[in-house]
Amino acid sequence: MSTTLTEQYPELAASIAYNPVIYDFLQNSLPDGLWYWNLKQPTQGWVNATFWQTLGYAPDQVPADPAAWRACLNPVDLAAAWQRAEACLQDSTQSVDLVLRGTHREGAPVWLRCRALVLPGDEERPTWLVGALFDVTKEKHREAHAQEVATHYSSILSNQSVYILKTDAQGNYTYVNDFFYERFGHEQDLLGTSSLLSIIEEDRPKCLEVVMQCFQAPGVPHQVILRKPYRDGSIKSNHWEFKGIAGENGELLEILCVGYDVTLLLENLHRAQHLLDVTSQQNLRLQNFAYIISHNIRSHSANLTSLVQLLSEAKSKAQKTMFLQMLTTSTEQLADTIVNLNDIVTINNNVSKPKAARALKTEIDKALEALSVLIRQHHITVEVDVPPTLTLTVVPAYLDSILLNLISNAVKYRALDRPALIRLRAQPTPEGVVLTVQDNGRGIDLAKYQSKLFGMYKTFHDNEDARGVGLFITKNQVEAMQGTIQVESEVGVGSTFTIQFHESA
Amino acid sequence: MRAPDLAYVIEDDRITATITEFIAKKDLCCRAVQTFRNGQLAFDQLKATVQAGGSVPDLILLDLNMPVMDGWEFLDAFGALPLVQAVCVFILTSSIQPEDVQKATHYKEVRGYFSKPLGKANVQRMQTLLLDIGA
Repeated sequence: MSTTLTEQYPELAASIAYNPVIYDFLQNSLPDGLWYWNLKQPTQGWVNATFWQTLGYAPDQVPADPAAWRACLNPVDLAAAWQRAEACLQDSTQSVDLVLRGTHREGAPVWLRCRALVLPGDEERPTWLVGALFDVTKEKHREAHAQEVATHYSSILSNQSVYILKTDAQGNYTYVNDFFYERFGHEQDLLGTSSLLSIIEEDRPKCLEVVMQCFQAPGVPHQVILRKPYRDGSIKSNHWEFKGIAGENGELLEILCVGYDVTLLLENLHRAQHLLDVTSQQNLRLQNFAYIISHNIRSHSANLTSLVQLLSEAKSKAQKTMFLQMLTTSTEQLADTIVNLNDIVTINNNVSKPKAARALKTEIDKALEALSVLIRQHHITVEVDVPPTLTLTVVPAYLDSILLNLISNAVKYRALDRPALIRLRAQPTPEGVVLTVQDNGRGIDLAKYQSKLFGMYKTFHDNEDARGVGLFITKNQVEAMQGTIQVESEVGVGSTFTIQFHESA
Repeated sequence: MRAPDLAYVIEDDRITATITEFIAKKDLCCRAVQTFRNGQLAFDQLKATVQAGGSVPDLILLDLNMPVMDGWEFLDAFGALPLVQAVCVFILTSSIQPEDVQKATHYKEVRGYFSKPLGKANVQRMQTLLLDIGA
C-alpha cells in the first residue's frame, strides 16, 4: 500500500494545503474542469476556467453570469449526480463517479466524467460537492461507433439468405450464423461437431478437395456446391465459398465459409435441361419425319414414275404384265409407308394421351397369347417372372404395342441353331417399374448399330419382313410415357431390352 | 468407255432393283447385271472375285440406305480392296439431302450422284459420264 503524501512528506503536504499558489496550480491543472456545487442550494455553484475551455469557450467568451454553468449541464444528469451525492452522505463507502452530459458552445454534446468528493455541511454551512471533470466525449464517440459497427455486422451475420460459418482446421464448426443454425441445426448445438459429416456422403470427397485447396492457398476463395440434409429431411444444395485463414506463420487456423441455397436454381436448371432434352427428342422425331417423307415416299414415287414409263415403252405382253405386277406391289408399299407414317404421327400427337392402371403380367400374357402360334411353331420357351400384382400406369395401347413388338422381335430374330428362349422380368424400383425382355437370339452388333438401333427404317438383319419401324415406334411410345429404353446385345448370344417406366411423370 | 461388261446393282428394294437392272441393260447397254440386296452381299462377292482373279464389274449402281451394310460402309470397304482396273460407281438414291451429295464427293470412285427416279435425264447423264470416262 502506498503511503500518503502527508505520511511521506508532512512538510510538503502542509505547505501545499495552505499555499495558495500550489492550490491554484492544482485547481487549474485538473484535466477538463473543476466544479463546486452547493447541494443545499443546487442553483449555487462554481466552475473553473478549464470547464469553459472544455465546452469550447475562449477566455473572453465565458458568460458573465456566475450560474451560467448550470444551463450547460443536462438537468437529468444533474439530478442523478445530486442523488448520488445524497447517497454518499448517508453511506460514506459510496462514491460519486458518473457521466454528465454537457453542451458545447456550438451545440454538440460533450460527455464529462465526474468524480466527486462530498463535503458534508451542517446547520450553518452548506454541503459541497467537489467534482473533477474529465472529457470522455471521444471515448463516447468511439463506443457509439463500435456499437454501430457491431450492429452492422450482426445484421449481416443474422441475415435471412446467406449462411456464414467458420470451422477450425479439423473442419469442426466454431461459428455458425443464426440462419444456418435455423435451417441445419436440428435442435442441437452445432459448434464443435464435424462440418464434413453434415454433408451427404457422395459430396464429401468434393468438400475435402476444396478444403485441401484452402490449405494450399489460404486467403483465396474456393467455390463448391455441396448437398446437405435440411432439418425436414429434404436435401438442399448450397453454393459455398471457402476461404482458409492463416496465422502469422502461414499455418491454417480456420476456414471461413459463406454459402447460399441454390436448390431451386439447380432444380430450374435441371428442368430447363429436361425441356431441352424433350425438345431435342422432338426435333429428332421431326427430322426422322422429314426423312421418311424425303426418302421413303420419294423412293416409292420414283418407282411408280419409272414403272409407268417402262410400262408405256414395254415391247411385249410379258413385259407389260411384269411391270403392271410391280406397279401393284409398289402402290401397296406406298400405302404401307403411309400407314407407318400415320403410326408415328399418332404417337407424336398424343403426348397427353390418357393413362390407366394395368396389371403388367396380364398384358404380357395377352401379348404372348397373340403370338402363341409362332411361339409354339418355333418351340420357343418363354419364361415370365413378373409379380401378378405389379401394376403400371400407362397408355394401354402403347404398352400393348411395346410388348408385342419386343416379343415378336425376339421371336423373329431367334437363333436357328439352338432352342430359343425368351425371358420377361419386371420389378418395382424407386424410380418406377423396370421391365426386361431378354432373348438368346441372333443379337445385334451394337458397336456398329448402337446409334441407328432405334432409328427409323433401320434394319440390321438381312430379313425380308423387316420394316425398320418397330423399335423406332417402341422407343417413341416409351418416351411418350416419359420412360427410357436401353439395349444390351451380343452377336450370337442374344439381346436384352430394358424399359424403365416413370409412371409419376 | 465401252458399254459395261458387268454392272452391280446394290439396292435393297426389290422393285427398284428390278427397274434399275432393266434400265442398266436397256439404256446403259450393260451386258450382264448382278443385283445385291445390301452392301455386304455385294462386297463379299466382289472380294471373292478379286481373290479368284475373276472379272470385276465396270460399273456399280449403289443405293445408300440399306440394312446390314449401307452404301457408305460399302464405299469404305470397297476403297480398301486391291483393284487393278478402275470401277465407276454411281450413287442412285432417293436421298436428296445436301450432306449426302457433299459426302459422296469425298469418294474418288463415285463418278456420279443420282436422285431417283432413274428417268430420261438421269439415264442420259449416266450415258455421258460413261462416255467421258471412256475418252
